[in-house]
Amino acid sequence: MNEENDRLRWQLKGLRQDVPPSRDLWPGIAARIAELPQPSTGSSAGRERVASLPLRARRLVPWAMAASVLLTVGFLWQATHLTSAQEEPLIRQEAVQLTRDYQGALAQIQGAEAHPELGGALQELDRSAEEILAALDRAPNTRFLLEQLRRTYAKRLALTQRAMMS
Amino acid sequence: MLNAAVTDLMTDTTALAAAETDNGLVRAAVGGDMRAFEAIYRRHASRIHGVIQRLVGGQGVRADDLTQEAFVRAWQALPKFRFESAFSTWLHRLAVNTALMELRSRRSQPLFDEDEDRLDDLGMADSAGHQTALSLDLERAVATLPPRARAVLVLYDVEGWKHEEIASELGMAVGSSKAQLHRARQLLRERLGVEA
Repeated sequence: MNEENDRLRWQLKGLRQDVPPSRDLWPGIAARIAELPQPSTGSSAGRERVASLPLRARRLVPWAMAASVLLTVGFLWQATHLTSAQEEPLIRQEAVQLTRDYQGALAQIQGAEAHPELGGALQELDRSAEEILAALDRAPNTRFLLEQLRRTYAKRLALTQRAMMS
Repeated sequence: MLNAAVTDLMTDTTALAAAETDNGLVRAAVGGDMRAFEAIYRRHASRIHGVIQRLVGGQGVRADDLTQEAFVRAWQALPKFRFESAFSTWLHRLAVNTALMELRSRRSQPLFDEDEDRLDDLGMADSAGHQTALSLDLERAVATLPPRARAVLVLYDVEGWKHEEIASELGMAVGSSKAQLHRARQLLRERLGVEA
């Protein structure tokens, strides 16, 4: 058993190897840094907390929530939209929340994909949302991207709902 | 014997030169030089991505995202680097911390740490037939471990951390770190079809 353990440990040590990322991450890093607030202002802990949210990873998590949340999201979004620019670092968090609620709402009205005539439009909207989320990953403090994301989700939901009713 | 001594000396010299280069780049980057920080990224990206990938279980996009996150956090924390330890060690620790923070943030989700026993059961069921387990190579087997057990195993057996360091980073008792390691090795052996 000891021999087996030793062999396993040696093999594990052998796993310590460099593995390059699947793509060049520098453009994304540079964009994120460019969007960071100037140092020595505000709460760095707060900024780090926001930055620690991996947007793309999180949006894939399934959320079983009622479609009615979307209305709440709309209200919440409008409320935060009207607040001061001091809350800018929260944009990325808002995008995460918006995406969660959108996925919850969408889960309640799935089935529109069965309508082939709408397939292209739905795919196009999904692609747009993907691109906006990727852009938000690169520039998490950009409010217009959040607005664009909200509009895209709203269109996607409206179209899905229309397909369901037709 | 002499060859070994010469090789050791060359390794030391190379490591020293690398550390000097790092320190120079860090000083420039702290002064706002983005090209210096890009050079730091290029020098360390593979190493940082490697450890993050092992900690999160080899998930491509997630490991990429966390690597990006680690470098953004490094940029933010760079002014706090005191040149008391090697920059590569500092960056490595920051990357581990970034990955663990994300692991901790996922604890509230189903099928994570609180539910590890359920995951273990899944693993046991999988390895019961041995066919699947035998075909898994070590890296893939490590990736299938429950997140917390995997983190302890990777940090201890692969990265060479001490239990005290792991316990502090993961916010657990030293005894828990040891227990998790024991459990992780046990699961790993089962998944690899090795007699315990």
